[in-house]
Amino acid sequence: MRAADIPYVSAVDQPVVLAGLVGGEEPWAVWPSVVAAGAREKVMSEIAASGLRGRGGAGFPVAKKWSMTASEPAPRYVVGNGDEGDPGSYGDRLLMERDPHRILEGLALAGFAVGARHGLILVRSEYPAAADRLRAAVVQAREAGHLGERVHGSPVDFDVEIVVGAGSYVAGEETALLHALAGLRAAVRARPPYPTSHGLLGHPTAVNNVETLAAVPWIVRHGGAAYARLGHPDEPGTKLVCLSQRFRRPGVYEVEFGVPLRHLVEELGGGLREPYRLRAVQVGGPLGGFLTPDQLDLPLLSEPLAEAGAALGHASLVAVDSTVPAAAILRHAWAFGAAESCGACTPCRVGTRRGLELVERLREPERAGAVLADHEPLIEVLTVASLCAFGRGVSCAVRSLLRVYSDELHQAALTGKGGE
Amino acid sequence: MRLSVDTIGIEVAPGATVLDAVRAAGAVVPTLCYDERLTPQGSCRVCLVGVRGRAMPACTTPAADGMEIQTDDETARRSAQLALELLVSQLPARALDIPAERSELVRACRHFGLTGSRFDGATRNAGVDHSHPYVKLDRDLCIACNRCVRMCAEVQGTFALSLAGRGFDTVVVAGTGGPWVSSPCVACGGCVDTCPSGALSEPGLADPRPISRTTITTCGYCGVGCTLRVHTRDETVAAITPAHDAPVNRGHACIKGRFAHAFTRSRDRLTTPLIRDGGRDSPLRPASWQEALTFAATRLAAIRDRHGPDAIGMISSARATNEENYLAQKFARTVLGTNNIDNCSRLCHAPSAVGLAASFGHAGGTNSADDLDNTDCILVAGANPTEAHPVIGARIKQLVLRGARLIVIDPRRIDLAEMADVHVQARPGSNVAVFNGVARVLLDEGYANQDFLRTRASGLAELAALLADYPPDHAARLAGVTPETLVAAARLYGAARRPAIVYGLGITEHAHGTDGVRTLSNLAILKGAVGTPDCCGVLSMRGQNNVQGASDMGALPDMLPGYQRVTDAGVRARFNRTWRAEVPARPGLRILDMFASATAGRVRAMYVIGEDIAQTDPDSGNVRRALAACDLVINHDVFLSTTAEHADVVFPAVPFLEKDGTFVNFDRRIQRVRPALDPPGQARSDFDILHLLARAMGADLGCPTPADAMAECATLTPTFAGISHTRLDRDGPLHWPCRSPDQPGEGRLYLDSFATPDGRAALAARPYLPPGEQADTTFPYVLITGRRLVHYNSGSMSRRTPNHQLRPHEVLDLHPDDAARLGLADGDLVEVTSRRATVTYPVHLTDTIAPGQTFTTFNFPDTLTNTLTSDATDTETGCPEYKITAVSLSPVPHRADSRAAGR
Repeated sequence: MRAADIPYVSAVDQPVVLAGLVGGEEPWAVWPSVVAAGAREKVMSEIAASGLRGRGGAGFPVAKKWSMTASEPAPRYVVGNGDEGDPGSYGDRLLMERDPHRILEGLALAGFAVGARHGLILVRSEYPAAADRLRAAVVQAREAGHLGERVHGSPVDFDVEIVVGAGSYVAGEETALLHALAGLRAAVRARPPYPTSHGLLGHPTAVNNVETLAAVPWIVRHGGAAYARLGHPDEPGTKLVCLSQRFRRPGVYEVEFGVPLRHLVEELGGGLREPYRLRAVQVGGPLGGFLTPDQLDLPLLSEPLAEAGAALGHASLVAVDSTVPAAAILRHAWAFGAAESCGACTPCRVGTRRGLELVERLREPERAGAVLADHEPLIEVLTVASLCAFGRGVSCAVRSLLRVYSDELHQAALTGKGGE
Repeated sequence: MRLSVDTIGIEVAPGATVLDAVRAAGAVVPTLCYDERLTPQGSCRVCLVGVRGRAMPACTTPAADGMEIQTDDETARRSAQLALELLVSQLPARALDIPAERSELVRACRHFGLTGSRFDGATRNAGVDHSHPYVKLDRDLCIACNRCVRMCAEVQGTFALSLAGRGFDTVVVAGTGGPWVSSPCVACGGCVDTCPSGALSEPGLADPRPISRTTITTCGYCGVGCTLRVHTRDETVAAITPAHDAPVNRGHACIKGRFAHAFTRSRDRLTTPLIRDGGRDSPLRPASWQEALTFAATRLAAIRDRHGPDAIGMISSARATNEENYLAQKFARTVLGTNNIDNCSRLCHAPSAVGLAASFGHAGGTNSADDLDNTDCILVAGANPTEAHPVIGARIKQLVLRGARLIVIDPRRIDLAEMADVHVQARPGSNVAVFNGVARVLLDEGYANQDFLRTRASGLAELAALLADYPPDHAARLAGVTPETLVAAARLYGAARRPAIVYGLGITEHAHGTDGVRTLSNLAILKGAVGTPDCCGVLSMRGQNNVQGASDMGALPDMLPGYQRVTDAGVRARFNRTWRAEVPARPGLRILDMFASATAGRVRAMYVIGEDIAQTDPDSGNVRRALAACDLVINHDVFLSTTAEHADVVFPAVPFLEKDGTFVNFDRRIQRVRPALDPPGQARSDFDILHLLARAMGADLGCPTPADAMAECATLTPTFAGISHTRLDRDGPLHWPCRSPDQPGEGRLYLDSFATPDGRAALAARPYLPPGEQADTTFPYVLITGRRLVHYNSGSMSRRTPNHQLRPHEVLDLHPDDAARLGLADGDLVEVTSRRATVTYPVHLTDTIAPGQTFTTFNFPDTLTNTLTSDATDTETGCPEYKITAVSLSPVPHRADSRAAGR
């Protein structure tokens, strides 16, 4: 069965990430001249001027990550993170399937900037077409002389390997991803040391999301200042936002940072399909937070969203309609956490299971009453003590659910009928 | 870095973690996934502390200058406790019933005052795996801390373990998840040692009854010299664990030292003296000590008095302590009046003693094992450390995993060869050709250290002249390898900054074993990699626990303690004064010469301490004929050995776990041996038996205690002058030379000068000579003998432990191509015939052995491998050529109806 084509729209004047798909910009436009000129400093300074941050969810400044990696001893690596695991996110998949060369060019520029000879992209196993197209693109890029030894007559060697993951959500976390690339169990490890000093096989590695990499060629071509003028002063640039299937117009939208969520939900997404009525929006994937319809004036910016108990994350918007029972969503949040926990740290390994068991107790009249109070220590330990963003994210999602669905859940706890 | 812990100011070194700082400040933070031997993981989350108001895991957070650490931070402590409660909620109640001293989990719960968990829900129900005799897994107690996995990877280097499953179901598995015993686990015990929750345990510690006593001693298996903690209960060993602060093993051990202790309470321990007083064909019968001592003393004295002292040959034991060996040679020289004393280093490392002394000055390795930490290239030659010296094997693996280069020179594709940069799979007996070829490349390609050669070495011109005959292609042809392989090995060694050489019996047990040691030593001299700052030198891997010490103590026919020559009148005069006796001036007989003299009727009595010469010495049919020819054979042993069966008097002796004294390990480290158990029945230590026998012969050996013996040895031996039990008990192990009580021992030797007569390292120009025994059309295969992981030497100890379940009988390793030619399938029986005997083995097909070669051991008395082995010996030292025996192979026909009959 062939997956449906992904609809995509640029909602910005100058598409950056979608420059190839809607803006008509060919990939590999800047790489030959940059590498031939040995213009490493130019790449670094344009990226620094752009203010580009990681688009995978953590939002770390790209220029800083690259310069940290470059300051460590060779061999160094650059890695593209194509393990797009968030249910509701498919922007990376769109890029990998439809404009793989832009990602490769971004990775080449990153490798050039940090002084790496090897780049790798981990693609989740659920995206076979993306992996095929990236592989084909690598072959084409080698044939065109963009990859390989002494590319474009420069002293630079750079080549790329495409690696397929093994079906773990947590492999999208960078230390787990690096373990997976090395053929190890994709479990998270504590940081520091950060991958910029101890990454792939223990060597300095810059790990960037593929969407981040896809912005790089445009920035190098048009200048960091041009990019910095887009978006919001606190958070410049553009972001791909994915709207889920309950929206009237689901798809991938490139938007500038700072636009109100309501613009995304109502104008771009066109609200929900009939006959559904919006009850909540989950922003930023399964580890993001739930917002009520009256919170949609929040801007698409990391800090205001975090203050509202949500998270920008990879910026997917999943619309939840009013027919979905509160307990079912709560159960789903815990079940996702329990299923995808890598098992490394205690809070997440045991806590997610305990959370799932708590929700089940909403069906038991004699125990349901304590369920909401019993959530508190679980949320606390997951928030404070988790080893990585996954455990913290599960608690963030659950906490926001308890707020958004407070009335329904209290009702469910009183009746002990499961709330579904 | 200066920082504070709970307002206490403290200084820590750069690179320290918050946990290091907390501990340095004397504060207590519980940990579960932390082990100082392993990379911190920070996953259990019970070590959270407050740093600038944030809860941080102490074990993985780097300390920083000016940091303020709060161990009582409310948020951190609360979350740490919650994490622990979550963890406990997953476990069955029995997890908290384990005695606190055996469970870090229980201790962590005590720290927080926890007796249960506020969380409840499902526990795991994955059951146990008790398939392995030592490593017992209770999956339901696993807390997924990953310590066992890290131990297996980061310390042992076997990579047998991993975590499997996700989230709540995460649990350790061995191998691919089948039974533990079928996994690649080598039972080093590291996982059991590190497990904080009791999920991995061992039989003696799974028993909740308390340990009554713990004794710190030195392992009595191989020559690595691991410091062990022996835990006893009801006068038996409950468990043995490695000492974490041990200088050599650093908290690690192997299947032998760690687990193979059941032999100490085996029911066939000898517990009374035995005598045979009705002629050789009469049975041995139990006797009282008085009767046996009188019997032995009378007959020994009679032979001495009638045939002269040199009609008695004495073999001391490499498994006995230094003090016992000291006493044995003193007994031979003062009570019997002969230098006819030798020890089994004659059969393994005599070429090392002679070769290393000739090249460098002292009869031992040149460096401390600690120097391996600094090496960037290890040359392993004729040694299989992962099986024969597992703790050092594991150390080498870790060094290679961290980037050191590895050269393996061995006819077999041993475990280390799998990770080597170059494996020189030289044919048996070609060592000298290989080393000469490598030396030639070092000189030709400019890798030699000319300054060093000019100022610190001698013999270059002669060596260079000889090496004209060893261009790489010729040397490679002699070795049966490609010239490229040889050159690659030479370049790796030559290009290294601090290369180390580790070698074993594959170099010494040859007809030209001393030449092997000399030509191997040449490489270190050419590189200037010995006797220089930061050098790593040459380390010889000793087979038995105290084979170094037995020789150090003068259980040698030509040497008094400390390798002082008996032919030196001044030396003798000193000993004579202290001993109030006359040390004979003429060197005595070596082991194999004793046998020849016995067969010829010149030696009339053999006194054998703790060696099973009839099983372990080469051409053992000849050994038995020699014993049969003697008028008197006296034997000390723990069990009734093959040799004891030929004896007239057998004294019941004790193994290392019941001894007091010292051992010297392979890197010249003198370490204390302390009794963990009392001897069963009337068994006595070799030390006591020698005293009793001397007394029965009307003599007094002096030095009534082992400490006295070491003290006397120190006064007579300049290289041990600074050694005493008191000092060892106070300061821990000491390397020899240790020339005075205020000097530290010398781990790295020769920094100023070599101990040779001219103070220079002596290069040796030795040509390649063919082995003593060669394959021919009648005996077309070469049999190599060596060691396997789970058994030890004659097997007298290891076969009487559950190690036996892991390898219940011996096999003959054979290449599949040879097997196909002979029509043999794995497990089929084959008759192996040498020029001396025939022994039958089941074959084990493996391509780790080269075609035309076979491999086995002499661990089992029912496959007497040493009836086959060569009678050739090293021309300089008399060390037997155990490594090369020409044999023919003949399949034992299947009995056609055997399968049908079995049904």
